[in-house]
Amino acid sequence: MSLYGTSFSRGCVVVILDEVVLFLRKVPPFQFLSDRALKGAIKGIVSEFYPKGSVIATVGGPGDEYLFVIRKGGAKRSLYREGEETLVDYRGEGEVIGYLSLFGEDVPWTNITAIDDTICYLLRKDRIKGLIDTDDEARKLFSKSFLHPLNKNAVKDAQNFTYSCGEKILFSTRVGDIAMRNLATAPQDISIREAARLMTQRRTGSLIFLDAAGAPIGIVTDSDLRDKVVSQGRDVNEPVSTVMTSSIHSVDAGDYCYEAVLMMIKNNVHHLIVMKEQRLWGILTNHDLMLLQGTSPLAIVKDIESQSSVNGLIPVSGKINGVYNMLLSDGARAGNVLRIITEINDRLVRKVITLTEEDLSPPPVAYAWIVFGSEGRKEQTFKTDQDNAVIYGDPADELEAQAAHDYFARFSVLVRDNLLKVGFPPCPGNYMASNPIWRQPLKTWKKYAANWTATPSSKAVLNTVTIFDSRTINGDESLLTAFREHLQSHITGNRLLLGNVASLSIKNAPPIGFLKAFVVEKSGEHKDMLNLKVKGVAPIVDLARLFALEKGVGITSTLKRIESLADTHSIVKEYAEELIHAFEFIMLLRIQHQFEKIRRGLPPDNFIRPDKLTNLQKRTVREAFQIISKIQGMVIERYREMIW
Amino acid sequence: MVTRMERLFGRPKEKIRRNAPITSLAFVSVDLELTGLNEKRDAIVSIGAVKMTGGRILLSDFFYRLINPNIPFRGPSVTIHGITPSDVHASDGMETVVREFIDFCGDDVIIGHCVEIDMAFLGRDIRKLTGRRFRNKSVDTLSVYKWLLSRNYYNMDNTLTKNSSLYEIAKYFSIPVEISHNAIMDAYITAQLFQRFIPALQCCGSQQIGDLLRIGNPSKGGVIVSGEFSNF
Repeated sequence: MSLYGTSFSRGCVVVILDEVVLFLRKVPPFQFLSDRALKGAIKGIVSEFYPKGSVIATVGGPGDEYLFVIRKGGAKRSLYREGEETLVDYRGEGEVIGYLSLFGEDVPWTNITAIDDTICYLLRKDRIKGLIDTDDEARKLFSKSFLHPLNKNAVKDAQNFTYSCGEKILFSTRVGDIAMRNLATAPQDISIREAARLMTQRRTGSLIFLDAAGAPIGIVTDSDLRDKVVSQGRDVNEPVSTVMTSSIHSVDAGDYCYEAVLMMIKNNVHHLIVMKEQRLWGILTNHDLMLLQGTSPLAIVKDIESQSSVNGLIPVSGKINGVYNMLLSDGARAGNVLRIITEINDRLVRKVITLTEEDLSPPPVAYAWIVFGSEGRKEQTFKTDQDNAVIYGDPADELEAQAAHDYFARFSVLVRDNLLKVGFPPCPGNYMASNPIWRQPLKTWKKYAANWTATPSSKAVLNTVTIFDSRTINGDESLLTAFREHLQSHITGNRLLLGNVASLSIKNAPPIGFLKAFVVEKSGEHKDMLNLKVKGVAPIVDLARLFALEKGVGITSTLKRIESLADTHSIVKEYAEELIHAFEFIMLLRIQHQFEKIRRGLPPDNFIRPDKLTNLQKRTVREAFQIISKIQGMVIERYREMIW
Repeated sequence: MVTRMERLFGRPKEKIRRNAPITSLAFVSVDLELTGLNEKRDAIVSIGAVKMTGGRILLSDFFYRLINPNIPFRGPSVTIHGITPSDVHASDGMETVVREFIDFCGDDVIIGHCVEIDMAFLGRDIRKLTGRRFRNKSVDTLSVYKWLLSRNYYNMDNTLTKNSSLYEIAKYFSIPVEISHNAIMDAYITAQLFQRFIPALQCCGSQQIGDLLRIGNPSKGGVIVSGEFSNF
C-alpha cells in the first residue's frame, strides 16, 4: 500500500499515519524535517507495545534495524557490568532511542527496559540512513540529535560534560551566533598601504573588498600582508588587488559551525564570509571557531574576560540565553545547566565588579563581595534579582573606618547600576550592598549573627537563612569564612533557631492531595497552574538548608548539600538519591518552561499547566512531591515541639 | 502473495504452523462498516484493515475502501459510521474491492472485534462475487479479552468487565478513540488492543499460534481447558 493511500476511493483522510505524523511533528529532529523527508523517514514504520518491565533492547542484542521513538510510556537505559546494573538515564514520551547506532555502531549500547506500559514507533534505520545520505538538511538535523548526550559521556561524572561540549557545540551553534558582525570593507582600488592602514585602524585581521554594487569580491588578511607583501618586498603603493585573494568562500549565518569547519579545511582558508539572505552579514575566522570549540560554553566566558568596559559586557550577557538553548537542546541535566549558567553569571558579575573597581581607586580595606539567594546556592536559572552584600575588613582606626564607609557606599551603588546595565534587576527587598545594612565591616556582621540567632523573630530567621546561602564572588574569601564560622557557632545546638528554620521549611507543603490531579493554584491569574518554584524547588531548598544548618555544612548548593550530607545526616542518608532526582527533575522542568517563555518573548515565570505534562512527567513530579512530603513529615516529627 | 492460479482454483490448504510463536505470525486487523446487522438484507459500506506482524502494527500497510452497496441505506447506521449514500455513490463496486481485499489479506490471520460478524459478511460477499470461500483463520479480540479476564490477568472491577464494546475496552487500555466509527480507525483500535493482548497471553502461558486460534475462537467461547497450553 502506498503512503497516505493514494488509492482511496474518495477524499478519506488516513488517520493512522496522520496520527504518526502529528506526533513526530513534535519530536526533534523529525519536527524539523521537510514533509517529503518525513514521509521518507516513516516508510515502513511500525508500532510495538512493551508491557511494563519488559526489555525493549539489550546490549549486544539482535542489532535492531529500528530507531525507537517513545510514543507513550517511558523506558530506562542501563548498563550491566559484572552483574551490576548502572542506570544511565530515563527516556520519556517523544524521546528517541538508538541514534548512536545510526552513525556506525550497530548494537544498542545500553539495555533498554520499559518502566511503564510503553508504545514505541519503530522507524527503519535503513530508511533514515538513506535519508541522511541524500538529504543535506536531514543529515544536519540528525547529526545534531546524535550529539544528544546519549553517548558514553552521559554515564561519566557530570564534570566531563563541559569537555564533551567542545565537539557538540560545533553541531549545535549556528555560524550567525559567533560570527563577527563588525567587519571592515573597502573598495578594491585602494593601495596595499591604505588597506594595511585601514586594518590597523579598525583593529581587524582582514579586510573585505567590495565591487561597485557592494558585493564581496576579495579578501586580504594579515597573513597575506606578511606572505605576499613584506616577505617578497612588494611595493606597498601597488593596488591591493595584486595581493587580494579573490576566491572567497562563504557560509550562511544559519549554517551549523561544523560546516564552516569543513569548508575551512577543504579550502585551506581561515576566513569565511558570512551571508544572510544573500547579503554580506559578517565574517567568521578559525579563531572564532577555536574559541567556540576549545572552551565552550566557556567561549562566552572568554568573551566576558576580554571586555574592558561595562558597556562591552552588555551584548555578551545577551548571548547567555544562547547557551541555555544549546544546553537544553543537547539534553543536559538540570544540575549541569545550573552549574554552567552559574559559572557564566559569576564571571559576568565578577567582571562588572572589577571593572567598577578599576574606575574607582583601590579599596582602602579588603572586602568580600558576597551573593546569596539562588545566586548564592548556584541555582540561578534565568537572570534573577541582585542579592548581594559586602563584608569588609575591620578598619584599623577612625580615619580608615570613614574612608571604607565612603568608598563602599560609592562602590556598591556603582556596581548595582552596572549590574542593572548587564541585565540583573535590583532586589525588590533591597537585599543589596547598596543598602547600608548590607555593607558593613566584619565585626558588625558578627554582631548581626549574634542578634539574629539570639532572638529569632521571623525577620531574623529569614536573615539567617538568607545569609547562610551566601558565597564570595569577588574579593577576600576569608572575610565570609570568618563570618560563617561565627554564625555557625551561634546556630549549632540552637534548637530554638533550628525549630524556626524547620517550620519555615515545612510551610510549603507540596500538592499531593489527589491521586491523579495536582492541587494547583485555586484562584487568580494562575488558576489551575502549578507553581514549580514555590511547590517544588523551594521545599527541597529549604529542607537541604535545614539539614546543612543542623550539621554546620558550609556548602551552599542544594545538590551539593544533599550529597555531602548523604553519609552523616540520618534523613538524607536514606533519601539522598530520591531528593537529588526530584530536585533535578523539577529544576529541569522549570528551566525548560522558562526558556520556552523567553523564546516566545514572554517574561519567564514558574507556573506550569499540569495538564500539559506528559504522563511520565506527571508521575515523576508526583513522585518528587511524595518524597518532599515524606521528608517534611520527618522534620515535623523531629521538631514537633518547636513548630508553630 | 496469492497467485492468480490459486485464486481461480482455490487456495492450498492452510500452512499455518500451530506451534510457531504468536509473535511470528502475520495478522490483518479488519473492521467493516455495515448498513445493518441483518446478514440477509444488509451490505458492507466500507472495509478497513491494517497489517500486523506479531504485536507490531505496520502503520503504513493498510487498506481502506468505501463500497457502493447498491441498496438503500437504513436510517440508524448512517448516524453511526457517518457514511452517507452520496459518499459511496461514486466509490468502487463490491467486486473490485473484494478482490483487492483478498489480495491484501493473503493468508494472514484475520483479527476483529466480534470477528464472526465481519467474517460472515465477508464470506457471504466473497462467495457471491468470486464463488470461493473465504478461508482465512480468524481471531476474535473480544473472546481473547474475555479469556484474559477469566484468568484474572487484568485487575479490573466488575462493571468494566461487563462492557464488551470495542471503545470501552480500548479506553480501559488508554487507546485513543476520538476519531472513530470509521472502518480503518476501528481496525486500528482493534490492532492496538490485540497488540496489548499478546504479551498478556504470553504471561498466561499461551505462546503459540494454536493457543491463540483456540482462545480467539468465539464458538469455543474463548475458554479452553487447563492443560491445553503449549507450555503446560
